[in-house]
Amino acid sequence: MKFVKTIVFLAASALVGMQSSSLMCAQGVNAQILLHPPADTWPGYHGDYSGRRHSALTEITPQNVKNLSLAWAFQTRQTAEIKSSPLLVDGILYFTVPDNIWAVDARSGHEIWHYTYPPNKGLHIGHRGVGMYKGYLFFLSPDAHLVSLNAKDGSVRWKVTVADVTQGYWTTMAPLVVGNHVLVGVSGDFDNLSGFIRSIDPETGATQWQWDSTPPVGTPHQTTGGMTWMTGTYDPDLNLAYWGTGNPTPVLNGTTRPGDDLYTCTIVALNPDTGKLVWSFQVSPHDTHDWDAVETPVLVDADFRGEPRKMLMQTSRNGYFFVLDRTNGKNLLTAPFGPVNWSLGVDPQGRPIPNPAKEPAPDGRLIAPDEGGMTNYRSPSFDIKNGLFIVDAHPSWSIYFAKPADGVYGWAGADYDVWGKGVIEAIDYQTGKIRWSHYLGPEGSGAGVLTTDSGLSFTGDALGNFLALDSSDGKTLWHAGSGSRIQSSPITYELDGRQYVVTSSGSVLFAWALPPAN
Amino acid sequence: MNLFRSVPLWSLRFAALFLLSLTISQAQTASAQSAQSKKGAAQASTPVLNKYPPAVVDSGASLFQQNCAFCHGKDASGGESGPDLTRSKLVKDDRDGDKIGPVVRNGRPEKGMPPFNFSDSQIAGLTAFIHTQQAAATSRKGGRKGVDVADLQTGNADAGKQYFNGAGGCSSCHSPSGDLAGVASRYEGLELEEQMLYPKNAKAKVTVTPPSGETIKGTLEYLDEFTIGLIDPAGVYRSWRTSDVKYQVDPSLNAHVELFSKYTDRDIHNLMAYLQTLR
Repeated sequence: MKFVKTIVFLAASALVGMQSSSLMCAQGVNAQILLHPPADTWPGYHGDYSGRRHSALTEITPQNVKNLSLAWAFQTRQTAEIKSSPLLVDGILYFTVPDNIWAVDARSGHEIWHYTYPPNKGLHIGHRGVGMYKGYLFFLSPDAHLVSLNAKDGSVRWKVTVADVTQGYWTTMAPLVVGNHVLVGVSGDFDNLSGFIRSIDPETGATQWQWDSTPPVGTPHQTTGGMTWMTGTYDPDLNLAYWGTGNPTPVLNGTTRPGDDLYTCTIVALNPDTGKLVWSFQVSPHDTHDWDAVETPVLVDADFRGEPRKMLMQTSRNGYFFVLDRTNGKNLLTAPFGPVNWSLGVDPQGRPIPNPAKEPAPDGRLIAPDEGGMTNYRSPSFDIKNGLFIVDAHPSWSIYFAKPADGVYGWAGADYDVWGKGVIEAIDYQTGKIRWSHYLGPEGSGAGVLTTDSGLSFTGDALGNFLALDSSDGKTLWHAGSGSRIQSSPITYELDGRQYVVTSSGSVLFAWALPPAN
Repeated sequence: MNLFRSVPLWSLRFAALFLLSLTISQAQTASAQSAQSKKGAAQASTPVLNKYPPAVVDSGASLFQQNCAFCHGKDASGGESGPDLTRSKLVKDDRDGDKIGPVVRNGRPEKGMPPFNFSDSQIAGLTAFIHTQQAAATSRKGGRKGVDVADLQTGNADAGKQYFNGAGGCSSCHSPSGDLAGVASRYEGLELEEQMLYPKNAKAKVTVTPPSGETIKGTLEYLDEFTIGLIDPAGVYRSWRTSDVKYQVDPSLNAHVELFSKYTDRDIHNLMAYLQTLR
């Protein structure tokens, strides 16, 4: 009964969501906008809290998408590739590369302001974007600071240290704003460090709580690692924040950390008000292949084999697709979504059992998938109409090495990609079977997936083409060559009655729309 | 072949590094230079150590940590997805950044490496750091990190030969007296194993038949859903819309992919042992 009520509530809120927030004369975001994003917003990394990266917009359809054309492009004039998802609030897009934030007019691509973080020694591998609360932006720097800025002009309100860059931490993720909590995570795989999620007060920058994913560094026979480098999701009804944790360290050598290495490679459910762990599900016990479980924990309310369920789904880097009951973390389905040769099967709790013979070795072990994994930080999307979990997958093989001379610190081994390809896979969430797949080219694509209610999947191939696919069968309906690699996930919004799709490739942001009627 | 080539190249590298150090180290006196190079000559495995001004190495190290360490590792010996630069032939062959600089500035888009817009002095710093790391790693005899040729000697050559001619099906495309004659002289260690598992740089042959019916054979240069491009026998690039032509890409490389799910690790080590007999 409660479930039925929730469905009605969600449907009603979706209708509200279709209205324009400009009627509310919004300045920044509030809890209502984050809970039920209006059509002319994209207020968080995933859009809404569910991580489905699915939009109710239907102006662009399988029939007319062939007419999709460039509305504008924005050039960052930098060599850093865009890996962020822009936020859209009050008609302004906010997006990032390491050390840089831009505020850009979503109607024209005109730059409103550009913030540059001072030179620093952090790792500049990528950046996923900003979080927003009221009229404030929250930006994590390569040297692991959280900066709060005024969205109207990019001026800095305050800056606080999240972790010590000199120990080997850095930060790249887009903070998740829940209520009056700014939830942030950290990166740092090249040193033996503890991962954590921290809740920070959006007004003051003060720490509210911190949850550590691994025991303190130096605890005998215990793992370090469990970095928290991707944005989680949130269920307001259960008041649970869901987060994936990264791999253990030392990365490729597990001898100093016997056992499961909790809570690395784990999906955790935390109370966002207290940081208390409510449940956990480990997708890779005792990982020795760098397979973070940080891929989007996607929240779906639907029937599972005839029973209404509140589910959490993840296509994990280790090659398995998981469906969990997100009220308690119990496993409903575990199924590989590509070649996997490192496990001895699945245990009664639904966790893959690592095969000791497939741990990295001095003379090498052939492993599927490769170290980048069957998928990575790029977002998947869930299309409820077709019952499909659509993901940019990377079937792949590699060789893994580790020997005593590699030590027990940081990487502690070596791995080499042998072969891989990119494929969009549409997974039937009730069986794990792949209903359709769409080849993207050799090696793989870095593009995420966005689906819409009209039945479209937006993504990109391995050669830099933006693609619009038919969500029901994966057929290509539209494409545009972008001239560079695609490393981000698309978003969509409606402004002035016109639907835009925003993608990026290389250092350029592209906005696409149907030609205006007149 | 490797051994044959390594001696003259090595000495060239040493000379080049010495020259480089002369150009970038104005502060150091000529006598100090001379003393260092003598020390380097005496300890053949560590010629580069201390040859770069610490300030240049440090600035390169800092830039490396910010931009390169994720893929290539903090000590340049390999990280996520990037190769071990301390064992890189390109680094060994580099003089004054002449090989490293262009790779950094142009990236290697086909391998996922983005370009970096660094100044000449930044490239000099990176070059100094990478060479310093390579020299340090090379000097760590016996306990060296990463994949040594000696690590890959656990197989049985007879069993490998059997697999080559039998279960592996390798002999249907390859011959020890034909294309693989002397392969162990062209490649060794990890590079040989990578080539064996999947020859990444091999270009596939392709046949395109336009509606006119005239068939064009060439080397596949580009293929996506929409466009096919080849280099024809005259060396000219030609392309078509895939919707306008019929085309056939030579599928022989797929045989390597099909083996991945069939190999045991022992099969791979045995095959390696066999290939290493083909000198």
